[in-house]
Order: sequence, then C-alpha cells, then structure tokens
Amino acid sequence: MVRWAREGFEPAFRELVHRYERPVFSLIYRMVRDRALAEDLAQETFVKVLNAIRSYKPEYKFSSWIFKIANNAAIDHLRRRQIDTLSLDGSPTARSPEEMHASAPQLGDQTESPLDEVESRELGGAIERAIARLRPEYRSCILLRHVEGHSYEEIAKMLALPLGTVKTYIHRARNELRVYLEGARE
Amino acid sequence: MNERLQTHLTPEEVELWATGLLSAARTFHLTECAECLAVAERERKLLVELAQLKRFAPSAEFAEHVLAQVRIPTPSGSHNG
Repeated sequence: MVRWAREGFEPAFRELVHRYERPVFSLIYRMVRDRALAEDLAQETFVKVLNAIRSYKPEYKFSSWIFKIANNAAIDHLRRRQIDTLSLDGSPTARSPEEMHASAPQLGDQTESPLDEVESRELGGAIERAIARLRPEYRSCILLRHVEGHSYEEIAKMLALPLGTVKTYIHRARNELRVYLEGARE
Repeated sequence: MNERLQTHLTPEEVELWATGLLSAARTFHLTECAECLAVAERERKLLVELAQLKRFAPSAEFAEHVLAQVRIPTPSGSHNG
C-alpha cells in the first residue's frame, strides 16, 4: 500500500488514512484528552506523513513511522501547554514579585468550559483516568506497548530512547496504573 | 531444584507469562512461589484491561480533511493537488 502511495496512486492514500485513522487518533486523544485538539493533531500527523511519503524508508515499519510522528505531535503540544500554564505565574522577565503579579493573566476573567459529555463518556472509566495520571512519557510507552502492541525495540526507535529506558518506563507505568486502579476500587 | 527456578520472575517474564509466552521451566516457578503468582495475576488483569481499551474514531470527515491537504506525488516526482 505504501509503495502504491509512493507511486502516486490516490486510492492508496485514502486506504492508508482509513487503516491508521483510529489507532493514530486514539493514541493522540488519550495523550491530550481533548477530542477536537486530538483531531487537529491527528490530521497534522497524516498530512505530514503523506506529504513526505517519498522520503519514507521501507526498512522502517510504516506504522512505527506514523506513530512516531503522532506521538511527537502530542508530546510537543503537552510541552507547549505546560509552558503556557507556567506563564500564568507572570512574565519570566519580571524582576520583583510585584512585577510578576502585575504581568500575570487574570484568571477570574476566564470561564471554565463545561466538561464535554462525549469526552467524559469516552475517557471517564477508571482505566482511562489512571492512564491520564501517568507522566506523558510513560503514557506514550504504555499505549504503544499494550494498546497498539508494538515491541519494546520498536518503541525505543519511535521515541528515540534507549531500550532499557523504555523497559523501565513501561514497568513503572504498569506499577502506577495498578496502584491507581487499586485505589480507585477501594 | 536448580537456582534459576528459585529466582523470582522479572517484570518482562511476568509480561510473557500474562501473554502465554513464558517458557515452561519459568512458568513452573509460579507453582512454587505465591508471591510471584500474586504479582503475575495482578499484572495479567491489568494487561487484559489495557488490551480491551477501545479505539476511538475521529469525525466522519477526517479522511477528506486530510486528503484535501495532501500533495499526491506523480511518477515524475512533482505533486498534484
């Protein structure tokens, strides 16, 4: 299918989207926990991958390539969001607590949007909430390993991490999940 | 009993057991070690829960939105679309 896409066969592009849209969207959705945002990031992932299809190296699994880009998109977003959250404390160039306070956005001006019913239904179960509490790096690893079924070696390549680190992350993530779930059931 | 059988299962071996891929020799350890068996059972329960997580579908227009932004390469190397 990828070879046909590389040769410019339009139905092959459609088929690749069809095959991977659910797993890619699901990974991103579980990472960012926002349906609309996950859809944008998944779209961005497919556009990036399909527009670069000619540079795809067949010795690398296509699924590993697309999940790598999807995961990067989600992690980049989470990092940006963390920076935005930190900036609520005020300007990083402020030289005194007064300046910092004066430059901080007024949170009282913002109204919190109501919890989206669909997201709540989809991501509201105990296991989904436990996954959401994991660090993003652990979350990626556990989803790629135990939901998508990639090998440890594939995950190490996708995330550009040493194999030992991937094993450690997955082991710790499983321990944390068990603790959260046991706590939730008590 | 050899020394290997007395060693507790590693996290990777527990995962192999939970997915039915652990060697018979190492699986035997579970018949003798209640501690490892308890860990393995908890692990299997978690892995089953993870494996049963559903895949979510994006909106019905997702593929069209993607394809509208993709440049289909032509055999000569230029792009259409």
